[in-house]
Amino acid sequence: MANTILQTRSLSKHFGNFAANADIDFAVNEGELRAVIGPNGAGKTTFFNLLAGFTPATSGTIVYKDRDITNASGPQRVRIGIAKAFQTANIYPSETVEQNVRLAALARIQGPFALQVFRRSTRLEAIDTGANRALDRVDLTRLATTRAGDLAHGDKKRLDIAIALATEPEILLLDEPVAGMSIDEARRTEQLIKKLATEMTVLIIEHDMEIIMGISDSITVLHQGRVLASGTPAEIRNNQAVQEAYLGGHTESELAG
Amino acid sequence: MKDLRFYLLTALGLAVFPFVFHLPLINGYGGLAIQILIVSIATIGFNLLLGYAGLLSYGHAAFYGAGSYAAALALLRVFPQVHSFALALFFGIIVATLAAAIIGALVVRLYGIYFALLTVAFAQMIYFIVFQWRDVTRGDDGLQGIAAPMLNFGFAKLDLATTLPAFPLGPFGDLSDVKYWYIFVAIILILVLAFVRTLNRSQFGEVLGAIRENEERSVFVGFDPRRYKYAAFVISGALCGLSGALRVLYEGSTGTDSLTIDQSGNFVIYTVVGGVQTLFGPVVGTGLIMWLQNVISAKTEAWRLIEGAIFVAVIIFLPSGIIGTFAKKTFSLGKVLRTK
Repeated sequence: MANTILQTRSLSKHFGNFAANADIDFAVNEGELRAVIGPNGAGKTTFFNLLAGFTPATSGTIVYKDRDITNASGPQRVRIGIAKAFQTANIYPSETVEQNVRLAALARIQGPFALQVFRRSTRLEAIDTGANRALDRVDLTRLATTRAGDLAHGDKKRLDIAIALATEPEILLLDEPVAGMSIDEARRTEQLIKKLATEMTVLIIEHDMEIIMGISDSITVLHQGRVLASGTPAEIRNNQAVQEAYLGGHTESELAG
Repeated sequence: MKDLRFYLLTALGLAVFPFVFHLPLINGYGGLAIQILIVSIATIGFNLLLGYAGLLSYGHAAFYGAGSYAAALALLRVFPQVHSFALALFFGIIVATLAAAIIGALVVRLYGIYFALLTVAFAQMIYFIVFQWRDVTRGDDGLQGIAAPMLNFGFAKLDLATTLPAFPLGPFGDLSDVKYWYIFVAIILILVLAFVRTLNRSQFGEVLGAIRENEERSVFVGFDPRRYKYAAFVISGALCGLSGALRVLYEGSTGTDSLTIDQSGNFVIYTVVGGVQTLFGPVVGTGLIMWLQNVISAKTEAWRLIEGAIFVAVIIFLPSGIIGTFAKKTFSLGKVLRTK
């Protein structure tokens, strides 16, 4: 039995009377590639935001490596190894591609705050190493000096992943990494995710069922803020409740395709 | 090499500056150059917050005024028997820094217009406290007749009010038109510029810029934006305190005018006109507007109206300010205010 790296117990998030997430019990093992799927409005992004410390939970607990991180701030969670790439590429558009990842590498090295008003970050060689490695992993090295805002859509999204990687995470949250990409870009990103999954735990939200069924070790289905089902891709594909709730009763072949 | 060029050119500019006021068309007076340099220090501090941290404070007079009152009170009441120039200066900086540390803690969680409004509120609070607390501050009369101590180097003492030796400079007047005060303030200004320049290129400045550009991403690479903004706020307040303390030591008086919302607004106008996010913009803006005020208010009472018109014109036609336009910066005050 592999080690559980991240776990939630009865995790809930309410916005007023609306329960975006309700009593979510969730556990992911170290090294696993877990997909979180569900129809629009199922609470997937809210769930990721709770895990990343983007929004505070209303109730329930989040445990990361036997440590209760429910009340840990976003920067604290990054520090202990939880990084997120965003649904809409979240980058520093006016900086170069290289500077985008350098900032993340700097955060990794110096922590949330350092009153270094005299020293330049170029004095820290570890930043170069970290930044170059992150760019290399997403295959953006050749665009290092390009202004990030000038990148193509797919490259922006991969840069966002590179920024997350430069924080050297143990668990990587990817929110719709291939959304809006051309078929070619999506294929490359799929390969990238597969490769990353051999090095770290990956949680992924994605609507592209072909990719999800192809790369996931396991899948959690959210519906109306609750966990509807969890299991292997095959189990999820054949799950009657999932087919009804998620696809309004469409057939298995449609879900697979 | 670039550092050397920076220091040489800045020193050269400052060396020429006071004599420019003697040209007939410029029509300034000797003391104005000193006042401009002193106020520039506060404007540089203000720009650290607006330009580099992306926060518009409309209450920075609080720290400028706190510095000036603290330095005055150091000489008059707190340490009258010591009567030390350095101590008064130091006390001014410390009190302003403390004020910034307290107010900063309460405002850095806010954004945009809400941040600006809360800084106004705190600055007005300090203004009214000083205005009402007549026993200590003499209220509306201000603190007058403060004799600045001599600058004590240990081995020698220098009265900064002494003028340089006589030496005719043609249309630029005479070397003796310049007091040692000018040289002293110019040296401090160079040090302040060097500090802000270094800070801006440092690890701290780099992260501050990142937070300004994309705060959300900065949180999720692991930075804590609030602590950065807080540090910038406090440093900014300290520089305003230094400026205020210098003003008292130079002019021998301070008053509630140093704490008004007008004074806070001046820092905004000087910075935006000169160029936000630029090193020399605040100095240029302060110099230009203070000089215009000096020249124009002698001829007409409508100075405020003209100043407002200049400010509006700059916002519309030159949003990055004078230096900012040359440096190809893009700045929008509206964007800062709309930050949520």
